[in-house]
Amino acid sequence: MKPKSILVIEDDYLDIVSIKRALNKFEKKFELNIAHNGVEALEMLNGNIPDQKKVHPDIILLDINMPKMNGIEFLRIIKNYLSLNNIKIFITTTSAEEYDKLAAEQLGITGYILKPLELDIGNNVKSDDNKKLIKELVS
Amino acid sequence: MTIKRTLFLGFFILIVIFIINFLIDYRLSSEVVTNSKYLSHSEDVIRNSNMLHKNMIAMQNSFRGYLLTGQESFLIPYNEGIISVPSLLKEQKKLLVAPIQMSRLDSIKLLHGHWIVYANGLINAKRDTVPEASKKYEELFEKKLRMEAGKKINDSIRNIFIDFDTYEYGIRQERRQRLRESIIRTRNISAGLTIFSITMAIALSIYVVNTIVQRIRKMTAFSEDISRGKFLQINDGKNDEFNILSISLNIMSSTLDANFKELTAKNKELDQFAYVVSHDLKAPLRGIDHIIRWIEEDHKSELSLEMQKKVELINGRVKRLEGMINGLLDYARIGRTKKSKTEISIDSLISGLIDLLVPENFAVIIASPLPNIIAERVLIEQVFANLISNAVKYNDKADGTIWISYNDLGHYYEFNIADNGPGILSEYYDKIFIMFQTLKERDAFESTGMGLAIVRKILDEMKTSIKVAPRNGGGTIFSFTWPKEQIN
Repeated sequence: MKPKSILVIEDDYLDIVSIKRALNKFEKKFELNIAHNGVEALEMLNGNIPDQKKVHPDIILLDINMPKMNGIEFLRIIKNYLSLNNIKIFITTTSAEEYDKLAAEQLGITGYILKPLELDIGNNVKSDDNKKLIKELVS
Repeated sequence: MTIKRTLFLGFFILIVIFIINFLIDYRLSSEVVTNSKYLSHSEDVIRNSNMLHKNMIAMQNSFRGYLLTGQESFLIPYNEGIISVPSLLKEQKKLLVAPIQMSRLDSIKLLHGHWIVYANGLINAKRDTVPEASKKYEELFEKKLRMEAGKKINDSIRNIFIDFDTYEYGIRQERRQRLRESIIRTRNISAGLTIFSITMAIALSIYVVNTIVQRIRKMTAFSEDISRGKFLQINDGKNDEFNILSISLNIMSSTLDANFKELTAKNKELDQFAYVVSHDLKAPLRGIDHIIRWIEEDHKSELSLEMQKKVELINGRVKRLEGMINGLLDYARIGRTKKSKTEISIDSLISGLIDLLVPENFAVIIASPLPNIIAERVLIEQVFANLISNAVKYNDKADGTIWISYNDLGHYYEFNIADNGPGILSEYYDKIFIMFQTLKERDAFESTGMGLAIVRKILDEMKTSIKVAPRNGGGTIFSFTWPKEQIN
């Protein structure tokens, strides 16, 4: 079976490593693409990056606070891409600020996950959104 | 027009109406007085005329009596009449105005004079005892008396008196009628004017009071709007004393509006600050945390014991800083977002917190069933949570105990959380509520020092208070008040 494709949009090196480490704990392998901001992510989704295949992610892990184009702006743009409708998008952020949550929910995301990611299946994961992400990853 | 001017004008109109009323009344009453004077004058003339005629008749009777009897005593009224009649005539003449009556009086006077000459002649002739005199008397008696000379004069006098009196009665009747009419007119006009004045006074009072009340109502409604947070501008277009108030209210409204806008902007800034603190400040901290964890996970076997200890120290400091940042964020968030108010059972809230915060070896004694309140759950929960966790955290006894009770203070409840911990010296009662202040060395006791600062800030937002007191038998009692129903 083709491995699940995950697009991580994240500007912080440590967070990227953190996500990679969390994903490595799963038994199955994933196809992982990293974009460091919204603009780069759009280029990847459009296949505009030289020597790189067009990315077709199953899951997007999206940071909110990023340079060039932040997560909310990114969401607003890709909302119009009909072909991206079945992609599960999870916001990853450190803050539980209400307005971010609201704005993201209005833009139709699947879940909202607080960093650092706690994705171990064996762990006692409390957040429903975290459970949703784990379910998506293992399915 | 200003209220002052309206009031003055109102009073001025009333005073003018009352003056006109008074003048008309005065005029009418003078008319009544004049008419009654005329009437009494007429009555005086009639009375005088009667007296005059009566005196003349008395003289005639007296004259006849003397002629019949020759007794001097009969002449007393006659002699009195000689004196009284001229003075009565004089008096009557003074009273008369109408020329016709004057000429009648003159005629009476003249005829009476003739009669006196005639009577005197007969009386003197009768009185003289000499024979010539007796003869003269006989002659006068035959020529004058028998020929009814005296009677004719008296008849003429009586007829003139009848004319005189008839005329005077007519005048009296007319004056009496005029007096009656003037009294009725005075009464009617007076009553009419009084009713008119009272009506005008009432109408003016209502108008003035209404004007003032309407203005006050308008200003009150406007200030109520302001108090409800509607910072509008009033434009009433009137130029009175209330206009100054409306200008002040407009200034107040725009100042408040500007201040509130500034406050909202400041709150937004604070939001932004909280966000920056939470995201940007916590991000590198989280990074350090990750790196330490990864070192521990990936390189534990390569680390000396000494290095492991130092890594542990870094870890502790990172956790402390994270706790402090989180505490600061919690502190900054208080009052910034309003949550909906619900009815909360303090009993179930406390039992939830006990499950979460109080270890098994602690005893919690709740004095009586705790009440229900209407509040934002997150706020009251935070206060109880911080106080209970402090009571647990700082307790140094093997049999740690927490007592929770409440008092009903009318609109408020006072909740008491007591412990049998080490107690707090009274000089630190203020210090413990300041942020980042702890009474124990941080290295010995991990604390952010934000718990009570957050409690104080929540209670300040609620405009209620908290006090600290030593507990009998050791420990501390924290007592805070909370409204039964939270109103924003």
